[in-house]
Amino acid sequence: MKPDASTEKADCLTWSAKVEVWDIAVRLFHWSLVLLVATTAITGFLAAEWWLDYHVWAGYGIALLLMFRLAWGFVGSYYARFASFRFPFRVLLKHMREVVSGKGGQYLGHNPAGALMVFALIFVLLALVLSGLIGLGGQENQGMLAAFADYQSGVLALEIHDILSILLLGMIVAHLAGVVLESVLSKENLVRAMVTGRKKAEPGRLPHSFGKKRVVWRAPVVVALIGLIVGPAYWQLTNMPASGFVAMKNNPTWASECGDCHYAYHPSLLPRSSWDTVMSGLSDHFGEDASLDKDTQSEISAFLSKYSSEHWDSEAANELQKVDLKKPLEITASPYWKQRHEEIEPLVFKRKSIGSKGNCIACHTDAKSGHFADEKISIPE
Amino acid sequence: MKKQNIIFAALFASLVMPLSMAMAASSPILDEIKKQAGGVEFSAERGKTLFSQKFTGGKPDTPSCTSCHGKSPQNTGKTRAGKAIAPMAVSKSPERYTDAKKVAKWFRRNCRTVLGRECTPTEKGDFLTYMMSQ
Ligand code: HEC
Ligand code: HEC
Ligand code: HEC
Repeated sequence: MKPDASTEKADCLTWSAKVEVWDIAVRLFHWSLVLLVATTAITGFLAAEWWLDYHVWAGYGIALLLMFRLAWGFVGSYYARFASFRFPFRVLLKHMREVVSGKGGQYLGHNPAGALMVFALIFVLLALVLSGLIGLGGQENQGMLAAFADYQSGVLALEIHDILSILLLGMIVAHLAGVVLESVLSKENLVRAMVTGRKKAEPGRLPHSFGKKRVVWRAPVVVALIGLIVGPAYWQLTNMPASGFVAMKNNPTWASECGDCHYAYHPSLLPRSSWDTVMSGLSDHFGEDASLDKDTQSEISAFLSKYSSEHWDSEAANELQKVDLKKPLEITASPYWKQRHEEIEPLVFKRKSIGSKGNCIACHTDAKSGHFADEKISIPE
Repeated sequence: MKKQNIIFAALFASLVMPLSMAMAASSPILDEIKKQAGGVEFSAERGKTLFSQKFTGGKPDTPSCTSCHGKSPQNTGKTRAGKAIAPMAVSKSPERYTDAKKVAKWFRRNCRTVLGRECTPTEKGDFLTYMMSQ
């Protein structure tokens, strides 16, 4: 269904009459997307780590919107359908030449350049959602793909996610420039048109007869169908155990003996070789005597090597096992730890509520589980 | 109040108070240490000195018991890693000095850390007597 002149009918419209081009579903989609993309951009580029939750929720929102838009591209009203703005390449070239010569406003729906941008935006947003989900599952062991994505693919996915997000920013700028340009050329405020849905019908760009068919009732049906598929899938997937975490049986001896002087450092925070050295040097342990009787010591040793960082695929375990070679016993001396905490003022660690760098649990409320999730960080006053 | 009652109350107090004090000071752990010390009388005063004195034989970061346990046994202390330590005084932490293994373990560790050697039974007895009187 190409919008060629033969299928366009004037009916009884006056030339300047406004007709509905963007149905209510397209408009709601568009402005919700603007809101959610802005949220992900702010939380992704500017906000601190513990805003991750909001970033992720906005991302899930975008995913739902995209699913809706993809469906609506087939069952929506005429100008919402992909078929109505799938232009051949030569038409695009012709359009660009016309724009350069200052001519615009021939299209009631998307013009060929705008249409290309719509497809590109949808594609890049889909790729962002997917790379974000893999990154979240692989690196943070959270979300719908936590059970499937391993750490390395998570890291890679997030690198792609970063590049795509910058690409998206560029595309948004181009999209806005295109809207301004076409608004000027066609002497019609296209931003307002996306609010009211209405554009001027003029000779040469008359509404397609199909455009008047009321199909808005299909929107809630599409939404309900998406909900029926996504809801159970989300529930099912997020309830699967994350691939990066081991089901660790707590060892009360370890928890009490290694938790007397400091937070009992989670076994996943150091490699086996480091734990072995810690355990064989307890009588001079960081300037203190922390000696244990033989049985207790070997019980704790066994527990720590059973669950040392090699056995986990979490971000903390993957990164913290690269210990500082001169200080292999200190988690806080590892390059990763230092890099992640370099922005924290030394005085912050001296606060009464914290005490020292090694008091992980003061800032990482989930330190006991070894997860060290971004959104569980809260620096006490 | 009738005269009779006052006499009765005084009698009761004179009986019960020493009894309760004796109960507070007697603990199986202290008795055991007393045996090891050869029956010397422990002194809360010497325990207090041990608690607050500065030593040079141990680790440089912790010259005194008060480095971690705080200036007064009534106060909450703090480890070098920032974790809170419940007060050492029995009046504040009644559950203290009831687990012989725990007491032995911490005397061994903390005396080595602070004094650079294990504490003698007399030192341990003095320390516990002081804390039980607090
Ligand atoms: C007597 C007190 C004491 C006990 C008991 C103790 N530690 Fe420590 N530990 C310390 C101190 C003090 C430090 C140095 C902390 C600091 O400087 O913030 C430390 C540091 C550590 C660190 C390095 C943390 C860092 O800064 O990266 C590890 C690992 C560690 N301890 C493991 C253990 C294990 C395992 C056990 C149980 C077997 C244990 N500790 C029991 C006192 C203790
Ligand atoms: C003063 C508070 C504070 C203390 C104490 C602290 N952290 Fe952190 N940690 C933070 C903050 C804030 C961040 C986020 C930094 C950023 O923006 O990248 C962080 C980030 C991390 C991360 C990366 C988390 C992620 O998913 O991106 C890990 C792992 C981590 N910390 C481990 C530790 C360990 C292990 C300890 C104890 C040895 C510790 N931290 C002690 C505040 C603290
Ligand atoms: C490096 C810090 C540190 C120093 C210095 C220190 N202690 Fe402790 N002490 C602790 C910690 C931690 C505990 C165990 C925490 C708890 O029981 O609440 C403890 C527990 C004890 C206990 C066992 C208490 C109980 O409930 O059974 C005794 C006894 C004790 N300390 C004696 C001493 C003596 C005596 C000194 C000085 C010679 C001393 N400590 C110095 C950190 C220290």
